[in-house]
Amino acid sequence: MDRIDNITQVYTQAPWRKQLQFIGLFSLILVFIALVAGIYLNVSAQTAKAGREIQYKKSQIETLDREIEDMQSMLAHLLSDSLMEKRAIGLGYESLEINQAQYLLVPGYIERKAVVLAPFTRENLAEAPVIPDKFTEPLIEWIRKQAGWISFSLPEVVP
Amino acid sequence: MKNPHNWRYSLVSSLLFILPVLIVLQMLRIKINTQQVDKLISEGKSLSGEYRTITPARGRIYDRWGHLLAGNRTAYEVGIELRKVKNPSTIAQTLNMVLGTDFAEALGAASMNATDTAVYRVVASNVESEKIDQLKALIEQMDALYGNSRDKDAPSLNGLMFEPHLKRTYPDNELASNILGFVTIEGVGFYGIEEKYNDLMAGEESIVWVSLDPVRVKELPEIHKGADVVLTIDRAIQRSMERVIDKAIDEHGAESGTLVVIDPETGEMLAMATTPRLDINKYWKYGEVFTDETPFNRVVSQAYEPGSVFKVFTMAAALDSGSVTPETEFIDTGVFEIGGTRIYNWNMGAWGPQNMQGCMQHSLNVCLAWVATQVGPKDFYRYMMSFGIGQLSGIDLAGEVSGRLKVPGDDDWYDADLGTNAFGQGVSVTPLKMASAISALANKGKIMAPHVVRSVINDGFQHDIEHRTVGMPIKPETAETITKILSRSLEKESSDALVTGYQVAGKTGTAEIPTPFGYTTNETNASFVGWGPVDDPQFLVYVWLERPESSPWGSVVAAPVFREAVEELVVLMDIPSDDVRQKLYGQ
Repeated sequence: MDRIDNITQVYTQAPWRKQLQFIGLFSLILVFIALVAGIYLNVSAQTAKAGREIQYKKSQIETLDREIEDMQSMLAHLLSDSLMEKRAIGLGYESLEINQAQYLLVPGYIERKAVVLAPFTRENLAEAPVIPDKFTEPLIEWIRKQAGWISFSLPEVVP
Repeated sequence: MKNPHNWRYSLVSSLLFILPVLIVLQMLRIKINTQQVDKLISEGKSLSGEYRTITPARGRIYDRWGHLLAGNRTAYEVGIELRKVKNPSTIAQTLNMVLGTDFAEALGAASMNATDTAVYRVVASNVESEKIDQLKALIEQMDALYGNSRDKDAPSLNGLMFEPHLKRTYPDNELASNILGFVTIEGVGFYGIEEKYNDLMAGEESIVWVSLDPVRVKELPEIHKGADVVLTIDRAIQRSMERVIDKAIDEHGAESGTLVVIDPETGEMLAMATTPRLDINKYWKYGEVFTDETPFNRVVSQAYEPGSVFKVFTMAAALDSGSVTPETEFIDTGVFEIGGTRIYNWNMGAWGPQNMQGCMQHSLNVCLAWVATQVGPKDFYRYMMSFGIGQLSGIDLAGEVSGRLKVPGDDDWYDADLGTNAFGQGVSVTPLKMASAISALANKGKIMAPHVVRSVINDGFQHDIEHRTVGMPIKPETAETITKILSRSLEKESSDALVTGYQVAGKTGTAEIPTPFGYTTNETNASFVGWGPVDDPQFLVYVWLERPESSPWGSVVAAPVFREAVEELVVLMDIPSDDVRQKLYGQ
């Protein structure tokens, strides 16, 4: 009996060792949680930063859109008919009278065409660039393609 | 042995127990009180984000060469955030000084107590950027001087807010105002293009939820900008025609004037000059400019009895139906009786034997009434309807009226109407309808749909409006014959409408004005319609002067206006004189 007790005693860990193991395990879990929390915080912080940037950019876009409209209108005002005429008169130009006009035949002269401010309907456009498959397909599909596996569908193998 | 520190353990454990109990109780309390639940949810929502109305920029309007006629620029709404106000008096004084806002009104707004429902008050709208810059500078100055002051009554502009938005602007002010119309502060288009294409140009307003929590920021939906519109109007021609008609009104003391330029081959309107005109950047002055029932654009919205210019339709119908030929002779005795009504010439004279050339050249009412009887009422009115008289032209402008053509079978149509309609009395038309219908004579018998919009730019693509034929009331040979008759008439009469170097065709019109007591004798509508160059018509000009004082006759007051307009037009449109053109074509 004493012998058995001795053996048990020999193989039983000392309390301080048990505590140490417990503390170690606890610390490991704690470190793991901290690690996950850290990663989570990092990702959240990055998301929040990106979110703020998006908000800022959106606001910038709005401001820029308004500035573009302002600039266009200002330019139009500067080029308005009355101001342009004043400027022309100021520079010494005079209005052309009917009997002052002289017409010449200029080979290759192309008559002034009405303004084109945008491309004509979609049909006239070259094919729009398409996003490559690798940016849209599922990862598995991509790996399969990279591995050169032949993808087949079920009906092909079912007789 | 009793531990002396036991009470501490008890306290901590009690706290640890009570705290969750309190939390649970609070949760239950909140959950039971539904009103508070709603309030808290709404408060939570208001803190987590806001609903924002996104108004896309209104589409721009260009002339045919791409000159901007209507655009947008930034303006501000000035408001007060009530919770932040420290000194209402300073705000009211500043607003009064910079924006001219009523002091008492601004003070009342700034003194309001903030509540759950009253948090913001608008005090001024459509404020220019320069004024906002002044206000911002004042805010900075006050912050620097009194920002750290502990005095409750220290001057402060806290609470003053500025919200930018786009407002309509017209760089050329009055130019083409009657065509463009205007947009009110609410963003609604009135009259002209702005009203007709309001939905297309305004784009679609969208209300979106914008999260203030950066983690939950989502991409805002794509808001399509309003469509841009390119007009057929040529800015330089429009301005020139406005000048010509303004000068004519001044010279002849007319009540109003209208001048329309149309490309007969395409139906494109090149200019529509009329009076009065409004600086559409100050559209609120509408009531001062358009008094009584003055229409915004007489070209499309005022029908009138055109008088002798209408004779071109009568003669065109007669020639086309074969009722007369240019050589058909008519002996003018000075009077023609139809349906119990006697018709006389403009000078009450008898002109003796005349062919159709003479009838048109001397503008003989008696002859044309007889010509109408030769055509017969059935065919005469069929032709008039195929010219579109009494119908809308369908132009892409708001406010078009149709005028009136009485036809056999109408309660108020009498046999005499055939005779009077033949020379443009008893029938009402708009200047646009006259120009559009007569363009058939300058375009091989075809009437093209009159239009003001040349292209629409939507979603980054340009769509050109196709030219449409809306009718062919007469044969091409008839159009050619009547053009020759009218061209010769001008030459033989040495008309004031003749333009040196250019062969033009045209017809004058002088119409008495109908009143409830019969026709006026001393007041007239003077008109002229003409087109050219005769061998390749590139423009048709319609002139109308209302109640000219210098002379009642269209040949005296309206014909010279046509000449002046054409002298400007040929230069602006790069049309060489006939001999130069023939020489150039021959090379």
